[in-house]
Amino acid sequence: MTAADDLGAFLEALLFIAERPLSSAELAELAGVPRPQAEAALASLAKDLIEGRRGLRLQGMDDAWQLATAPEVGQRLAAYAAREEARLTAAALEALAVVAYRQPCTRGEVERVRGVDSDYVLRSLLHRRLVVEMGRRDTPGRPILYGTTFTFLERFGLTSLDDLPPIEESTTPTLPAAEEQEPVDAG
Amino acid sequence: MAPELDPIEIVQPPIEAVAMRTTDALEPGFEVQLPTFSGPLAVLLHLIESRQLDVLTVPLAELADAYVAHLAEHPVDPAQLAEFVAVAAQLILIKSHSMLPGEVPPVSADAADEPDEEELRRRIVEYRALRDAAHALGERDLVAPMHRREPRESDLPVANVGPLPVVLLTDAMRALAAIPEPEPAPPEIMAREITIAMQITVLRAALAAGGRVVLQQLLASCRSRTEATVTLLATLELVRRRQVRVRQRELFGPIVVETLA
Repeated sequence: MTAADDLGAFLEALLFIAERPLSSAELAELAGVPRPQAEAALASLAKDLIEGRRGLRLQGMDDAWQLATAPEVGQRLAAYAAREEARLTAAALEALAVVAYRQPCTRGEVERVRGVDSDYVLRSLLHRRLVVEMGRRDTPGRPILYGTTFTFLERFGLTSLDDLPPIEESTTPTLPAAEEQEPVDAG
Repeated sequence: MAPELDPIEIVQPPIEAVAMRTTDALEPGFEVQLPTFSGPLAVLLHLIESRQLDVLTVPLAELADAYVAHLAEHPVDPAQLAEFVAVAAQLILIKSHSMLPGEVPPVSADAADEPDEEELRRRIVEYRALRDAAHALGERDLVAPMHRREPRESDLPVANVGPLPVVLLTDAMRALAAIPEPEPAPPEIMAREITIAMQITVLRAALAAGGRVVLQQLLASCRSRTEATVTLLATLELVRRRQVRVRQRELFGPIVVETLA
């Protein structure tokens, strides 16, 4: 067994027993290796877990890492692991999508895109721990900034925010005029 | 005879400010059925605001009637009700503007909120992208969830439940007995709550006897500065309601409060 494999195994074990996500700096310190080496080992651990079709995945956000079960087995695990959870409403999904794709972002930004008051729906997302306050923006009024959480990644089966479905940003050309002007059927 | 004092207008803060806000309730519930459109109300507003549908073709009265009929058959959800009122108000406003000949929608103080055509188009595209993203997220919601390790029961701190020596109990009892009785609480520690309504009652009772009372005497009987202040406010409130009249013949003289017939 090479030293690199040994490090990977150690990090995997460490993440298995950890009660909370660990940063690469913490992992490096616990493993007694420089941080770049720990990061490389994490990357290869993530790859091994996927390629080996294992039951766990490395899940990361803002340089915090945890082991979570693979999305592929999530449904079958639900019988054991999941609490009864209701699907999110359309309003909650919209607000969550703004936060997920624009984070960190303010309530004002959510409302500007959605065009409706989003105070209540953001609060319900906070309550479900799908979003969290991430500080304040240094602009007048110092509005609260929101971002998504590990709970969010887990719920949607994402190993990181990079896994979010790609979004057509508003930089795409405007819609064809034909669709905009489509006559409304008067029948 | 001194000139009669004008009744004083008191601008008082609202006693119970009820914070109203619209919560969004985009849940399917009430679907609009019109010759030109059928679907959720929010979509209707969206189409009208984005000028894809002429507001003049939308019969708002029928819309409201349909909603009332809908309410009669379904449980009332306050959030949806608020949402309907907000959207309907928006529709009425838009329609009013479009029905007035030559009327241009007024430029609001924050003109930034009145987007031009290009901005509107950009926002629609932005919103559609968001809506699609939200839809894509919804497709994944709880479909293939990942789970983290649950804390086990053995992870939870366990209380030491071995038998306890009796001496602990006697020691505790002795320690309790050693604690001196607490000093009696100083009087007047609780805030006295006096309301204008209460003092109006006091004032009316005082007026009931002879129809007039000297304010200074009333204030002298007050037990605290707060009570005196509220009594004065109560007097002013009755003046405002034109139930009493207040006269003072000379500077620093007695202020006579009289019932108005």
